[in-house]
Amino acid sequence: MARSIIVVGAGPAGLAAAMQAEGQGARVTLVDEGQRPGGQIYRQGPPALGREDIAGAAELRRKHKLLEAFERARVRIDYRPNTSAFALFGPRDIHVASGDQTQVLSADGVILASGVREVAVPFPGWTTPGVMYAGGAQSLIKSQRTLPGRNVVVAGCGPLPIVVAAQILRAGGKIAAFAPLHSLTAGVGNLTGLWHGRGVVLEGLRYLATVMKSGVARLTGFVPIRARGIDRLESVVLARLDAAGAVEKGSEREIACDALVINYGFAANSELAALAGARMRHEELIGGWLPEVDDFGRTSVEGVFVAGDMAGLRGALVAETEGCLVGAAAAASPEIFAKRSFEQSWHKELTHRRRLCEFQKVVRAMLDRPRALWAIADDDTMICRCENVNLGHLRFAFSAGHLAPNTIKRSTRAAMGWCGGRTCLPMIAALAELHAKASPFAMMTPRPLARPVPLSALANQTKG
Amino acid sequence: MTNRTADILIVGAGAFGLSCAWWMAKRRDGSRILVVDEGEFAGGASGRNGAGFRMQWGLELNIRLCQESIKFFESAARELDYPPGIALKQDGYLVLAHSEKALKTLEAAVRTQHRFGVPSEVLDAKECIKLVPPLGRERLRGGSFCALDGSASPFLWLDALLRACRRQGVDVVYGIRARSIEPVETRYRVQLDDGPVDVAKILICTDWAAPELLAPLGIDVRTEPLPKEILVTSPAPPAVKPILVSLEHKIAVNQVDRGSVIFTVSRARSGTTTRSTGDFLSFAAPKIVDLVPGLAHVPVLRAWGGVSSVTPDMQPIIGETEREGLFVAVSSYRGFMTSPAVGRIMAAMVLDGDTNDPIASALHPRRFAAGEMIIEPLLNQE
Ligand SMILES: Cc1cc2nc3c(=O)[nH]c(=O)nc-3n(C[C@@H](O)[C@@H](O)[C@H](O)COP(=O)(O)OP(=O)(O)OC[C@H]3O[C@@H](n4cnc5c(N)ncnc54)[C@H](O)[C@@H]3O)c2cc1C
Ligand SMILES: Cc1cc2nc3c(=O)[nH]c(=O)nc-3n(C[C@H](O)[C@H](O)[C@H](O)COP(=O)(O)OP(=O)(O)OC[C@H]3O[C@@H](n4cnc5c(N)ncnc54)[C@H](O)[C@@H]3O)c2cc1C
Repeated sequence: MARSIIVVGAGPAGLAAAMQAEGQGARVTLVDEGQRPGGQIYRQGPPALGREDIAGAAELRRKHKLLEAFERARVRIDYRPNTSAFALFGPRDIHVASGDQTQVLSADGVILASGVREVAVPFPGWTTPGVMYAGGAQSLIKSQRTLPGRNVVVAGCGPLPIVVAAQILRAGGKIAAFAPLHSLTAGVGNLTGLWHGRGVVLEGLRYLATVMKSGVARLTGFVPIRARGIDRLESVVLARLDAAGAVEKGSEREIACDALVINYGFAANSELAALAGARMRHEELIGGWLPEVDDFGRTSVEGVFVAGDMAGLRGALVAETEGCLVGAAAAASPEIFAKRSFEQSWHKELTHRRRLCEFQKVVRAMLDRPRALWAIADDDTMICRCENVNLGHLRFAFSAGHLAPNTIKRSTRAAMGWCGGRTCLPMIAALAELHAKASPFAMMTPRPLARPVPLSALANQTKG
Repeated sequence: MTNRTADILIVGAGAFGLSCAWWMAKRRDGSRILVVDEGEFAGGASGRNGAGFRMQWGLELNIRLCQESIKFFESAARELDYPPGIALKQDGYLVLAHSEKALKTLEAAVRTQHRFGVPSEVLDAKECIKLVPPLGRERLRGGSFCALDGSASPFLWLDALLRACRRQGVDVVYGIRARSIEPVETRYRVQLDDGPVDVAKILICTDWAAPELLAPLGIDVRTEPLPKEILVTSPAPPAVKPILVSLEHKIAVNQVDRGSVIFTVSRARSGTTTRSTGDFLSFAAPKIVDLVPGLAHVPVLRAWGGVSSVTPDMQPIIGETEREGLFVAVSSYRGFMTSPAVGRIMAAMVLDGDTNDPIASALHPRRFAAGEMIIEPLLNQE
């Protein structure tokens, strides 16, 4: 009988995995909470808006190639948009919700390809309307064709601030200041890495050229230390920090703007893997808590696989290649998978991925988040928005020795709200380390639900 | 190896252990008190419960235990010098009956309650629904209500106790397990994870795990683990002022100040895992929607598990064991709401040898061997 595979996430990793598994004869179900396939990077706006045009040409080519291939395969795949996976206890116990309905699915294998989200770094005023993260700005541009603001400050580290700044400019927006934390040549020493990523590097250079040519004010090494405005952002104070996180005297610049777009790197959406009991490891700069995986995305839990950025930031190119490898492994029967010929038949892709990963080292160097960043927040700075917990509350908890995520959660309620800690946990980890020397940071006990689901939908469970 | 010294060792830093420690330390009689817990802060049932307290019981014993405790909760912020307070909410408890038989039981209990000054009353189905509009009408017969019952945050309660204990010099350490107890002359040597400690007296507050330490000494403490699961919703507009308990559904509903609604849903299970299970959500949601259809639209945020203890008569076990200086306090569920009074009683027992307290003498550990069972008519429900 054909193997059954469930894929969570329709980004490049999930799409590639679903198509590969289907191509090998598996019965494939693909769930994604988004309206249309594509995931984070290949996000599609509503069909009425037509194709986007602000991404680089090569990226758009890859996007359309993948999405068109998926259109062709779609008739043979049980693709379910607007469907979220909210609990996972193994491949035979997968809980999904759509609208006012839930289902418990069972399969031979489940492939988690739920990607990454952005990491927030708290500073006074960071919750002011108008302050947003790069993904928010990108989805405004890509899926709504609107600009984040009329006059935008872009800041942060890694390649994404460059990309968003260029995309804002290409969409006709105005940039008040561009503040990359690291010199734009960080990571350039790694020539092998650059060579392996040459395709992406060229794209990156084009984005960079767009930003440079526009003549926007560039403030390298500056970070936002305060956002001003009550109902609406009015200005941002940028400054340089010393190693201890103190503001360098006289470096403050206040810049009028109506939007601040930031990216400080990424955290993996790994909750479902943790809930399923997969062995996890912590690597801060590529996503925080990550499932341990082998070359074929196998986790420590039988039948639970992971592909793409969720196993640690890899970029869209690796995500797609890896999706194929993981889809192939999940769809193969254990006997076929165990044969040496299986690995040999994927030799090319394995090598390709290894090379692309070399390039990820370049990106990692650009993503370095100095500890000093976490010292900007003061006691009144909000940390957990859902439960209204500020740094003062956290420090009160630290003072009684509550330094692990479970105990910080219990003593402050941080991470107990709507988002389940997806926003505040990485911040809390860094703040506990900075203020209370709590290291290494333990993992919070994973709990369902990965997404809020109405009681009525839980009660309205159809047979899967 | 750490060199620890103490006169009194309390094993377990849950609501029982910390409350006992605080009441003992309050005496300032010079005893050095050490509390060890193998887990994290609030890692036991005390950090995983439904947070409800009530004086609506059917036995004098339970009524008094909870009346005293609730009085203490009311003044806890001041008594424990804890300015944030413990999120006290006293909007009452509504115990629901969905059959004539259950209603009769409630009526009898309310008569008993009145004898001890509990301001409870019996409501008919209409009055119940007026009080809690989202309630389902089907089969609902009525309920009993007491406005002094309510809830508090177990986390804040434990944090307040912990800080107050430490201020009074109690040494509270987490991440350290008590592995074994060995009597040495008139004292005890306890093997802790980081070395032995010699103490004069020991109080076991490890709840369902108490037999692990006591059975090797030949002490028979009849308690078993009772695993439960529980879920919480996102904040919703105020709809359920009193805490609800449905005898038939075996559900307790607590909408706390933030608006989140906590549902404790019981089902027959055994074991000691606190892990969440997939079938719990499938099991609990239809029952909840049947009980309070008006809350069906509210999103569930999180589910978790906790393990408490249950004894043969579902009443706590508190007292000195057959070995002098070795004491035990097992909650038999409901240990959040009884922890203030149990702390006071145990402090008197451990420090003064006072076993005359009527509650303490009724709940002594050897009652089962003697064939005594205490029957609480309102138990076996939430
Ligand atoms: C804001 C942002 C910008 C980025 N920009 C770039 C870039 O320019 N270049 C680059 O190489 N990489 C970029 N990345 C990294 C990364 O997103 C890509 O490498 C790529 O999209 C990873 O593909 P993926 O398939 O692993 O995950 P994704 O593309 O993120 O896809 C994950 C999918 O899973 C779905 N999902 C998640 N959780 C659930 C759930 N519980 N139930 C159902 N569905 C779920 C999501 O809806 C999403 O469609 C960016 C990341 C972010 C967050
Ligand atoms: C889902 C659920 C809902 C509940 N709802 C309510 C409610 O609404 N109202 C109410 O009053 N009660 C309720 N209860 C019951 C209540 O939570 C418990 O009765 C109470 O918390 C018990 O407190 P404790 O201090 O005895 O035990 P615990 O809080 O479990 O503490 C025992 C401690 O001992 C430690 N320990 C165990 N063995 C060792 C060892 N060998 N060495 C060192 N440390 C050790 C453990 O780590 C643990 O921290 C509920 C329980 C559950 C599970």
